[in-house]
Amino acid sequence: MNRIYAGLAWTIAAAVVVQASAIAFAFGGVLNHVSEGGVVDKALLESGGAGGSGELGFWIHGIVGAGVIPLLAISLLIVSFFTRAKGARLWAAIVLGLVVLQVTLGFSITDLPYLGLIHGANALAVVVSAVVAARLARRSRLARLTRAATEEATSDAIAA
Amino acid sequence: MPSRRDLVRCAVVGVAVATALGAGALAWSSTLLGEYSVMDMGDGHGGEGAHGDAGHEHRGATAGGGTGASGAITTGEVSVTSLTADPDRHADVRVELVARQQTIDVPGGRSVDGYTLNGTSPGPEIRARQGDLVEVSLVNESVTAGATLHWHGIDVPNAADGVAGITQDAVPVGGRHTYRFEATDAGTYWYHSHQVSHEQVVRGLLGAIVIEPATPPADAADHDVTALLHVYGGQHTLNGRVGDSRVDAEPGSTVRVRVINTDQGTAAVWSAAPYRVVATDGHEVNAPTAVAGQRLLIPAGGRADVAVQAPPEGAVRLHVGGARSIEIGEPGTSAPPAPQPSETLDLLAYGDPARLDFDPASPDRSFDYVIARRFGIIDGRPGNFWTINGNLFPDVPMFHVREGDVVAMRIVNDSGEVHPMHLHGHHVVVLSRDGVAASGSPWIVDSLDVHPGETYEVAFVADNPGIWSDHCHTLPHAVDGLIAHVMYDGVTTPFTINGEAGNQPE
Repeated sequence: MNRIYAGLAWTIAAAVVVQASAIAFAFGGVLNHVSEGGVVDKALLESGGAGGSGELGFWIHGIVGAGVIPLLAISLLIVSFFTRAKGARLWAAIVLGLVVLQVTLGFSITDLPYLGLIHGANALAVVVSAVVAARLARRSRLARLTRAATEEATSDAIAA
Repeated sequence: MPSRRDLVRCAVVGVAVATALGAGALAWSSTLLGEYSVMDMGDGHGGEGAHGDAGHEHRGATAGGGTGASGAITTGEVSVTSLTADPDRHADVRVELVARQQTIDVPGGRSVDGYTLNGTSPGPEIRARQGDLVEVSLVNESVTAGATLHWHGIDVPNAADGVAGITQDAVPVGGRHTYRFEATDAGTYWYHSHQVSHEQVVRGLLGAIVIEPATPPADAADHDVTALLHVYGGQHTLNGRVGDSRVDAEPGSTVRVRVINTDQGTAAVWSAAPYRVVATDGHEVNAPTAVAGQRLLIPAGGRADVAVQAPPEGAVRLHVGGARSIEIGEPGTSAPPAPQPSETLDLLAYGDPARLDFDPASPDRSFDYVIARRFGIIDGRPGNFWTINGNLFPDVPMFHVREGDVVAMRIVNDSGEVHPMHLHGHHVVVLSRDGVAASGSPWIVDSLDVHPGETYEVAFVADNPGIWSDHCHTLPHAVDGLIAHVMYDGVTTPFTINGEAGNQPE
């Protein structure tokens, strides 16, 4: 279970990196579209295509941000109840909390653009907490392996 | 060999997971809509939209409306199919529109896959005179999902409203449906499919319809042009062309530009030269003054008629939508593009007040239409959906009215995005926004942008019996639950949504 927990946590961290790349790609597309004479307005925004060549970036950001990462974070919390790693539950809860905040911020940016400042910073917080969770699980697994090896060595010594 | 404790633990986990999955599946399947009738919607919620109007300082006591429970109709039931224009009357304007699913040739741009009417998109512009009986036959040659025609902004009899699953079945391939209505109010309108509308409208199943006044007014414009805006595959078009247009007009002459926003979002109109907004959504503005240094915003689905005067020399450029413009002036002249003003014309205080033909001060019914957003599941599809009065579709209110009622509605946008709210079959007059009473010309609309945090109070007379959609015209929002209905007591529909006819109005 530790392995699954760590895997999920690393995937969340990696997905946030995908998010950063995707949104940069998307806005690159918008700027490119505009610089070639295109106009971005509400009509274009609502019918898709505002991202020009970077349109795929908006898609990825939307699907990964509102779908994939929240599901991963929920899975992480569920898995945390079956791991023996200390603090696994706490850090899974922190990751999920930050993800919920992140999604809420994302959906509110249109109305309150200043929230974008927090949305960007909070993304880093998600990465850091996911990495902490992943390393926690790894440490715990290593510790158990070491303990097991030591116990084996001890019993061998007695048998000898 | 696993210990007994491990076995017990595995069993507990197994049971917990199975229970959770079972409960999840049950909850999910309970959201599946299957075949349903709008008649069954809003059951037990009929009164929810109504409120006693406490706290609305500028209105007197009102009857808490919306009391009739759907299905509780006793006598005199009328089917939507019988709510028609005079069947014996001879048609003055007769049009046949053939719908096809095909590649649209977009002049000046690249072709896109979509839908056409009589081979083009936008379809042919229909022109009628006030008082004419208009008869349009829709023939579906190849639109696989079926198609309908909705007469956006025209207060047609309910049978001609063109909403699949409510007023008719979607016309299947090879089928034909005839729409008949009297062109009562002169103005600028448009028609579009109301079957899988979020897809069919975006892909071009639409066109303009203009109703000219029975007798031209004394101050009629010298030139009358239509400016239909639509985005095809990311390309902004004006009357179907990727490119600007021009109107050759002699100095001092007036040009009436009928701007139709067929897109999914607000369109801006502006010019470096003053212009006047002479009509909104097919209703004349009383004493419109010259607008300078401000832009006019037209909601998705909305129309505005803008009057521009050709300058003594040279030309003026009227920007319509973010990307297109019309040059108006003597042949061979030109005008440079103008930056879009950041200030918006407020139609709440534009023009001079005039008497309304009804008294909105003491409505017979008062409803709330509060828009918000939350995560949930609609028809088995999880997502971040719109709510109306706190509930997800299909638990949205049904606004029950009786013919002759004066109806007041408070539209509140508690979400983070603008919503162009469109009521079928009626026009509403805006009474106030955020508590500020309307002080200009009666602002009469069928499509109204409600921005985040705004509260609009509107009123209308229930004078057109039927079952009428009242939804957001950013059409994907309607798919995501932003749709309710106004239902007249005693009116029923034989049509269903998601049934054999494949009706999917949104």
